Amino acid sequence: MIEYFLLFLGESIMIFGTLGILRFPDVYTRLHAATKCDTGGAMTILIALAIASEASLLIKLKFLVLAFLIGLINPMVSHAIARGAYKYGIKPEVVVDMYARDNP
Amino acid sequence: MSRVPFYLRERLDEIRQRVLFEAYEAQKLPKWEQIILTWITLFSFWIVISGNTRIENLFIGGITTLVISLLMYEMLTDDIRQSGHIIEKILYISFFAIPQYLFIMAFRLIESNFKVAKHALLMDINPGIVKIKTDLHSDTGITILANSITLTPGTLTLDVNKKLGETYLYVHWISVETLNREIAGEKIKGDIERWLKKIFW
Repeated sequence: MIEYFLLFLGESIMIFGTLGILRFPDVYTRLHAATKCDTGGAMTILIALAIASEASLLIKLKFLVLAFLIGLINPMVSHAIARGAYKYGIKPEVVVDMYARDNP
Repeated sequence: MSRVPFYLRERLDEIRQRVLFEAYEAQKLPKWEQIILTWITLFSFWIVISGNTRIENLFIGGITTLVISLLMYEMLTDDIRQSGHIIEKILYISFFAIPQYLFIMAFRLIESNFKVAKHALLMDINPGIVKIKTDLHSDTGITILANSITLTPGTLTLDVNKKLGETYLYVHWISVETLNREIAGEKIKGDIERWLKKIFW
């Protein structure tokens, strides 16, 4: 029963993340939606699959290894994209920008 | 500090970093403990990924991971600062520190997902880039802290800057609440920095 709940939670997190990517104004706020919702949604779905699959324990643990790798790689990629976009010259729509003040 | 000439400031920066590094270098783990910690990590990965617990497989995996950990022991455990017996360290890290981190991060991740959903529906965003200070100095510690900040609600790490022996993080915050550096740091970092300071320097 709990795997259906987790699966539903993961799917709805993914849907809201997509909505956030479509609605937010610039690169950085869109990265918020992409990173957090992809990580949380994919990890939740993988945990649900690990509970639901009828396999031995070591094969279930492989799902958790995948979840661990997603949690490790996703924030690094988003950091690389955000920093690259800033260095490329895309100005963020912000109220305060301390990064521009320190790196003129 | 702002009146110091540029060449002197660089020199001071160098000296302070060296003093700090030497102060933490004294509590470094011995070499054989680093090798054992790396070997345990790699061997557990081997068992999970190969998915087969026959005795030949375990034998081959043990020898291979032992050779790898003899060669590359300082990549994984170079920044760990922890005192105590080796068994105490292994038990502390695997049964207390890592579950505590996973427990903190799981709830923060779920909370951040709901927060993104709320922002996407209501569009009540007020973004800004703020600068916070951390007490961590090692590369591994800063990496884990920055990744955790990216996954906690409403924040995304842009860049890291090390200046005069202190580390600063630039964080894109989706709804800026305060510009004060201490309060903002407390709100953004939360428990994670306190957890990281138990293990990394």
